[in-house]
Amino acid sequence: MPSPLFRRLRRPPTLDLDDIQATLLRARPEPYFGTHAILEITDAAGGRELLRRLAPRVTSAARWDEPQPSWLALALSYQGLVALGVPQESLASFPANFRAGMAARAERLRDTGVNAPERWEFPFGTPRVHIAVTVYAASEDDWRAEVGAYEKELGEVPGVRLLSHQDFAADGFNVFGYRDGFSQPVIEGSGAEPLPGDGRPIKAGEFVLGYPSETGTPLPVPAPDVLGRNGTYVVFRKYHSHVAAFNKWLHDNASTEAERELLAAKLVGRWRSGAPLALTPERDTPAIGEDPNRINDFDYSADPRGLCTPLGSHIRRMNPRDTKLTVLTDVNIRRIIRRGTSYGTPLPPDRLKDDGTPRGLDFIALGARAIDNVEFLQSEWVGSGNFMGLGKEKDPMISLQDKGAYFTVPGTPPRRVQNIQSFNTLLGGEYFFMPSLSAIRRLSSN
Amino acid sequence: MGEKDLQDRFQKLPEAVREKADSALADAKIALKLRIAELLADKEEKAKHAVTTAGRIGAKSGEVSELTTILPLKPDGAKQLRKFFKLVGGNLAGAGQVGTLHNMRFVFLENDTKLLFATAFDGEWDPYIDDFATKIPDFMDYLFSNVEGWPGITSPDVKEFIVKHQLPAEAWYVAHPDLTVAEAGRLKRQEAAVQRFLSDLN
Repeated sequence: MPSPLFRRLRRPPTLDLDDIQATLLRARPEPYFGTHAILEITDAAGGRELLRRLAPRVTSAARWDEPQPSWLALALSYQGLVALGVPQESLASFPANFRAGMAARAERLRDTGVNAPERWEFPFGTPRVHIAVTVYAASEDDWRAEVGAYEKELGEVPGVRLLSHQDFAADGFNVFGYRDGFSQPVIEGSGAEPLPGDGRPIKAGEFVLGYPSETGTPLPVPAPDVLGRNGTYVVFRKYHSHVAAFNKWLHDNASTEAERELLAAKLVGRWRSGAPLALTPERDTPAIGEDPNRINDFDYSADPRGLCTPLGSHIRRMNPRDTKLTVLTDVNIRRIIRRGTSYGTPLPPDRLKDDGTPRGLDFIALGARAIDNVEFLQSEWVGSGNFMGLGKEKDPMISLQDKGAYFTVPGTPPRRVQNIQSFNTLLGGEYFFMPSLSAIRRLSSN
Repeated sequence: MGEKDLQDRFQKLPEAVREKADSALADAKIALKLRIAELLADKEEKAKHAVTTAGRIGAKSGEVSELTTILPLKPDGAKQLRKFFKLVGGNLAGAGQVGTLHNMRFVFLENDTKLLFATAFDGEWDPYIDDFATKIPDFMDYLFSNVEGWPGITSPDVKEFIVKHQLPAEAWYVAHPDLTVAEAGRLKRQEAAVQRFLSDLN
């Protein structure tokens, strides 16, 4: 049974869907199961051999709207391209921040303090992160089958080493208990019909290399064309979610369950069901959260001051829609495709003590500008409030908070809620390039 | 030996040596004064004005960064630009929509062959250049197409072009380093509200 949140293919696609990896267009199933694995190439020939064997398993985006039991995605870091023996002139054609890697960009990403690369989990932040393999599946059995097939290839190829293997599973709600993963930009030429509130389709070149972008021309494509075209960039960031701290903060600052749920909704911009404050300001309305035609069907035209959906709330920062920003910004070039996954079990709202269990979110952003955009988001929309005239207030859900940070709930009078904590902290991450299917074949035959 | 004798002997030294000694003494005097001022300065005040980097290139103090470029002009470039600046009476009020610009100036140098463009802006070098390329491309190209070699605002080479002509400041001071243009706007609105409240009160 496909998720009701699946988009339908309504128009003939004009992108090379047979060559583009599935993850770009294929939505997460609900529930979903999967694995993120990080591999190191210790011998170039071995790396190429693994790519050759995995190439037929990497799923394309063709018929992305039809349910599929499982699919595999593959991406390479800059160090991975180097380890594969990609020629220098080709390596040099990749953008500078991708070549530097995420850890080297910590300052730009505001990854300091507990989020600093020196504190990341192995293997993140080391030059040994080369290949990322992700399996998404709609059932436990399909997941095991797909992972088993990939592991068999990995086990038979010398010169490639598994560095980390992380399983995940969830039902469409994150570990805080909020529905997630349902707001995505509509890509022109993908064949998708926008759902109410999705906004206009965005030029394909913003998400896939080799097509016209919002400027009218394609963004720079790595050389040679067969390597770059139909590829995209992936930003992977693994977060630990401090759900108990979030629950405790709500208990410290609101006395009834209804008040706590409202305060939490003010931080997120949505209720647990996914229903936005903009459509249901007083209480959660699960019927809206369950309806893909209603869940995003809103704008902020009637709420310029954020009295209903705070300007500083997570969803209004991440997608300001028609909010008048104080800084000249094109919101259409700042969209990313999000394929994040939750790991660990959710912690119910009445649990105020951490149980020591790992839980959190693997934030995954895709797009031709994904690296630039995540750097932009981290410094401008997450780590600052200036773009909305909010001074130094930061994103209440995903930012690293300074000591004594607060969140202002707009109103008459506004309510300033003190001591907001870092509810998600970073465990590591990397920048990847997600090659097209033909590029994988090319890389494997070098 | 008295001070007079010393002076006499000093005067007898060759002029070049005397000049060297004078300038060394003067430098030492300034250095001492600066050092004392530094010791007396408020540590917090000093930290507030700390000069950091604006990212790719340039200096930043608090939230405010500097950008200075000297750009070679096309043969008729200065004439074209002067025409435009005259048309608006040197008033670039429309630039307010950018929202991060504190100030900017256009100065013609070296017999109208070069353009000095200098600005103070909020935040870092990179974040909003891409937005100019999709939000105000015509205006950017209208102004800068008078510059020799301007690749066009939507060109992937545009950032490299600007960096090539940028001269990073060696020293940078901002009176209110924590005050962004957006914050200043907010404070002005707040002040107006306070004044209104006081007027209504009396």
